Amino acid sequence: MNEPDAAQVAHTGALRMRARQRRFAPLLVLLALGVCIGAVDHNFFDPMNLARIAIAAAIPLTIALGGIFVIQLGSIDLSAEGVVAVAAITVSMLVENSYNEHHSGLWVLALAVAAGVVLGLVNGMLHVFLRIPSFITTLAVGFIASGIGTAWLSGNTIRVSDTALRSIAITRYLGMPLSVWIALLALGIAWWVHRHTLLGRHTLAIGGGEDLARLCGVRVGRVRIAVFALAGAFYGVAGILAVAQYGQGHAVIANGQLFVAITAIVVGGASLAGGNGSPLNALVGTLIVVVLANGMVLLGVPPYVQRGIQGVLIIVAATLVLDRSHRRIVK
Amino acid sequence: MAGSGMPGLSFGTGPTTLACSFRSLTNPYHAAFNKGAQSFAKSVGLPYVPLTTEGSSEKGIADIRALLQKTGGNLVLNVDPNDSADARVIVETCAKAGAHVTTIWNKPNDFHPWDFNPHYVAHLSFDGLAYGAATATELFKAMGGQGGVVALGGIFSNVPAIERKAGLMAALKKFPDIQLLDFQVADWDSQKAFPIMQAWLTRFNTKVKGVWAANDDMALGAIEALRAEGLAGQLLVSGMDGTQPGLAALKAGELVATVDWDPYWLGGVGLSMGLSAQQKKMDVARLPKERRESFCKATLVSKANLQAVLARRATPAADWNDARVAGPLVYR
Repeated sequence: MNEPDAAQVAHTGALRMRARQRRFAPLLVLLALGVCIGAVDHNFFDPMNLARIAIAAAIPLTIALGGIFVIQLGSIDLSAEGVVAVAAITVSMLVENSYNEHHSGLWVLALAVAAGVVLGLVNGMLHVFLRIPSFITTLAVGFIASGIGTAWLSGNTIRVSDTALRSIAITRYLGMPLSVWIALLALGIAWWVHRHTLLGRHTLAIGGGEDLARLCGVRVGRVRIAVFALAGAFYGVAGILAVAQYGQGHAVIANGQLFVAITAIVVGGASLAGGNGSPLNALVGTLIVVVLANGMVLLGVPPYVQRGIQGVLIIVAATLVLDRSHRRIVK
Repeated sequence: MAGSGMPGLSFGTGPTTLACSFRSLTNPYHAAFNKGAQSFAKSVGLPYVPLTTEGSSEKGIADIRALLQKTGGNLVLNVDPNDSADARVIVETCAKAGAHVTTIWNKPNDFHPWDFNPHYVAHLSFDGLAYGAATATELFKAMGGQGGVVALGGIFSNVPAIERKAGLMAALKKFPDIQLLDFQVADWDSQKAFPIMQAWLTRFNTKVKGVWAANDDMALGAIEALRAEGLAGQLLVSGMDGTQPGLAALKAGELVATVDWDPYWLGGVGLSMGLSAQQKKMDVARLPKERRESFCKATLVSKANLQAVLARRATPAADWNDARVAGPLVYR
C-alpha cells in the first residue's frame, strides 16, 4: 500500500477542520448574536432577561425536540401545531376550567402526552403502511388534529384556572419556572434517546442511507413509526407547557410554532436531508431564534424590519452550517 | 306563478336560504357571530348555512358561488370578506344571481351599497379609531394620566390594526404626560405578545406603567408574561374585542378595558337587514346613506359595566331590528 501523499493528508485535514467549524458554527452564531446585543444593551445579560429568554424558548424547544428526530430520518413532520392543540385542549378540559366541571388533577398530563403519542402513531402508520410521503401524511393529520380541536370546542377558548397546572409556568426553582426545567428534562430525554438507544442510532442510519440501513437489518418501517410517535410525545409535553404558560386551551394555541421549530432545527445545523443533527442542534437553533426576537425588541428595531432581519439571519446561519461541499445538486 | 316570466327564479317559490361567510370557526368571535346568525334564522324559521373561508379568498368566493347555484339566487348573505377586494366580486356575483348581501368590516373604499340597488343592502363596520382611542383613554386615566406605556398592534397591513393604532396616537395627544415607550406588532396573537412583553420588561424595567393592546388575545399574552414575573394585576393592560377570556381577565382585575363588538348581534343583524330588503319590507334605495354604510355602536367595557355585559353574554339575545348606527362610515 502506498503512503498517502502530503497533499492528500493536508486535504483531509482541511476537510475535517471545516467539518468541525461547521459543527460549532451555530453556537458561534448564537454567541456572536448575544455579544452584539449585549454590547448595545447591557440589560441583555441581566439574569432576569436570561430567564425570560429561557421561558420563551421552552415551548418551541420542546416542539423542535420532537421534530429533530423526524428530520434526522430525512422526513418532515408538519402536524406539530395540530397535535399540540389537541394535547392542550385535552389538558385544559380536564383540569379546573371555565368550560366544564371537570377537576381531575394532574394525572391528565399523562393523557396529554398519550394523545400526542396516538396522533404520532397515526402519522407514522399512515406514512409507512400507505407509503405516503411524510410531508402529506403529517400535513393531513395536522389538519385533522386542529379540526378535532375546533369541533371539540366549537371555536371557543377554554380559560384554565387550575393553580397546580398554572404553577408549572409560575413556580420558580433556582430562578427558573418549572416549565424551563421540564423543557430541560425533555432535552435530556431526547439526548439519551439520540445517543444511547437503538432507536436513536437507527434513526440516523435511515436518514443517512435507508437502503443500506435496511440491508444491515434495521426494521425501517418500525423505526419510522416509533420516531413519529416519539415526536408526538414531545408535542404533547409542549401542549401542557402552552396551557400552563397562556392559561388557555384552544384549537390554534400553537399557530406559528411549527415554522419556528423547523427554522430552529435548520439554523441549529441539522440538514433537512436527514442523517445528521442532534437534540443540541435543536437547543442552539431555538436559542438563536428566541435571542434574536428578544434582542430586536431590546435594541428598538422597528417592527417592520424585524421579519427581514430574521430572514437574513436564517440565510447566514444556514450558509455557515450546512455542508455544501459534496452537493452537486441542490433541490 | 302568473305574471312571472321566470317562475323558477322568482322569490317565494321555496324558502329563502340564509348564509354567513366568515374566516373560520376556530375563534370565539366568529363562533358567536355564527351563533347569532343561527339564532336569527331560527327566529324566522328559515334554513341557515355557515360558510368559512379558512383565510382563502378563492375558497370563500367559490363556496358562495356554489350556494348561489344551489339556491337559484334565493339567498340572503351576510359576509365578512376575507380581503377587502373580495367584497366586489362577491357583491357583483350575488347581484347577478338576484341574492341580497350585506358586508361586514372589509370592502374597497370606492365601492358602495347604493351602486347595487337593491341587492347590496348595507355595509357594517366599527370605528377602530374611536374605540382604539377609547380603550387608550381608559388605560391612561387608570394610570393617573402619567407614566410610560408600551403598545401591541395587530398585523401591519390590516385596516382595523391601522385604525386602532391611530386611535391610540390620538389619545396620546390628549395626555401629554403619558410617554409611548415602544410600539410593536404581535399579529393579534398572544403567543407573539408574550416574548415581546418579556423583552420590554428587560428594556424599560419599572418605566412601564401600562400596556395598550389592539386586541384581547395580545393583551392576555402580555398579562401572562407579567404573571410569570409576579406582576399580573399590577401593571395596567387594556385590550379590545371583548373575548370571553378578556372579560374574565377584566373581572379578575388584570385588564382595565376592552370593547365588545357583540358579534352575536352582528351575525344576525346582517341577515335581518338582507331579509327585510328581499321581502320588500325595507326599500333600501330610499334608506339614507349613513344607514347603508355605517359604523355600528359597540360597548366599551370596564369594571363599571362588566356585570351587564357578562349577563348579556350568558343569555345572548338581540333586537334584530335595531341597527345600532353610530354614524356614517368615515374613510381615512
